Amino acid sequence: MSGPDALPDPAPDLVPDPAPDLGRVWLGVVAQVWRREPGRLERLAARLLRSPALARALLTTPSLLVPWLIATVVVLGVGAGVSLGTGQPMVALLAPAVTAAAIAYAYGPAVDPAWELSCSMAVSDRMVLLVRVLAVFAVNAGLGLLASAVSGEAASVTFGWLVPMTAMCALALAVATLARSAIAGAMAGMTGWMITVLSVRVTSGQFSAALTRTALVLPYLAITVACTAVAVFASRIPTGGSG
Amino acid sequence: MNIELTDLTRRFGRNQAVAGVTLEAGPGVFGLLGPNGAGKTSLLRMLATVIPPTSGRMLLLGRDPRSYERRREIRRRLGYLPQNLGYYPSFTVVEFVEYFALLKDMPPGRVPVAVAAAVERVDLGGKARAKLRTLSGGMLRRVGIAQAIVNDPELLLLDEPTAGLDPEQRVRFRALLRDLGQHATVVVSTHLVEDVGAACTEVALMDAGRIVFHGTPAELTARGAADGAGDSPLERGYTATLASARMTGTRS
Repeated sequence: MSGPDALPDPAPDLVPDPAPDLGRVWLGVVAQVWRREPGRLERLAARLLRSPALARALLTTPSLLVPWLIATVVVLGVGAGVSLGTGQPMVALLAPAVTAAAIAYAYGPAVDPAWELSCSMAVSDRMVLLVRVLAVFAVNAGLGLLASAVSGEAASVTFGWLVPMTAMCALALAVATLARSAIAGAMAGMTGWMITVLSVRVTSGQFSAALTRTALVLPYLAITVACTAVAVFASRIPTGGSG
Repeated sequence: MNIELTDLTRRFGRNQAVAGVTLEAGPGVFGLLGPNGAGKTSLLRMLATVIPPTSGRMLLLGRDPRSYERRREIRRRLGYLPQNLGYYPSFTVVEFVEYFALLKDMPPGRVPVAVAAAVERVDLGGKARAKLRTLSGGMLRRVGIAQAIVNDPELLLLDEPTAGLDPEQRVRFRALLRDLGQHATVVVSTHLVEDVGAACTEVALMDAGRIVFHGTPAELTARGAADGAGDSPLERGYTATLASARMTGTRS
């Protein structure tokens, strides 16, 4: 175009360099192509937990296969123990400690491949652990409800252990979110569970009998020591690497 | 200064991993060299706020990480690649980087573009939607680097970042380091002396938990004798400095 109607060429110094904009446009495009839109459940969890990171941790917990299997086996095993030990309040009281220690182990440094990296993140690793405990109980409670339709034993484990513990974990997470402290949440959950267990036993007159039977002291002590050992192992700080 | 350490120590039981390190570092690429067991990884883990020091004073990005709130502020602006980073095999590259971007408390609206930029910078665009279980060791290392740089950190800590990378990728990675070092403090712990020579503006040499040399790569090179042990001038400087430090240590 060189006729009289042709637009004059812009001054070279006014022509923007297209390369940086093209780069930015390209990133915008690939970001849209690659992004995974969060589902409804994740958006709801993000709103309730006030953290998209915790919501993502909640939803991805079952996909970490080995930790998930370890945690699920322990949760169901302890649940079976709780339903067999009906009438022994100490069994019910120690059960959450055993389970929490096992889940901390499963999603801790010994099994979780990215644990060390998680420890350097702004979102507290303890909050992530609380979220994972809730995910383990909630999914197993859902499966337990389905199994309850065909099995009385499954119903006993589901309604005597999985559903109440899911509620306690939800309570713990709610308190932790409000108080911005995972420890405060865990304390609230444990307190809620203790009140529930003890109030049921006190009304049926079994509480003092179970606490005063000397034959049970040794097993209780052994379980407490085992829980403490697992918790210490799960939260230990490994030594430096080869460097 | 983004890193200010004064007489920092770290013990694991009876083992003194870091023994009185005093160091300052501003923007630039800082190489941390040393033999196995010198204390590099322990020092890096303290800088990453993964483990606390046993004693001494540490300021990162002008903040004291002993307070939880300050630690959280540091972690938002920190990138860390651990020596033995494991991966979630069922995650894709983008999902993995995105998950850690969210854990770094990045504003959710900024995450997709930041993830895309990080994945492109480590040249994994073609594998963005591949499951991590299908990637090679070198590619996984690049995924680790992508998660470390996704938040455009002011303090970037990389432990053996070039392990498993092929020569072409190492050359590209060094260019990336130089680029990142223009505005951030990048600390690279490595056994590979040539990485330090090519990318670092400053270097510290650690042995037995102590810093036995701190200066520029050129100053380290100057310490080597022409007939000393090592295949390159920098390697000769490294071995000569290490030997001299051990001799001094034995005498004292």
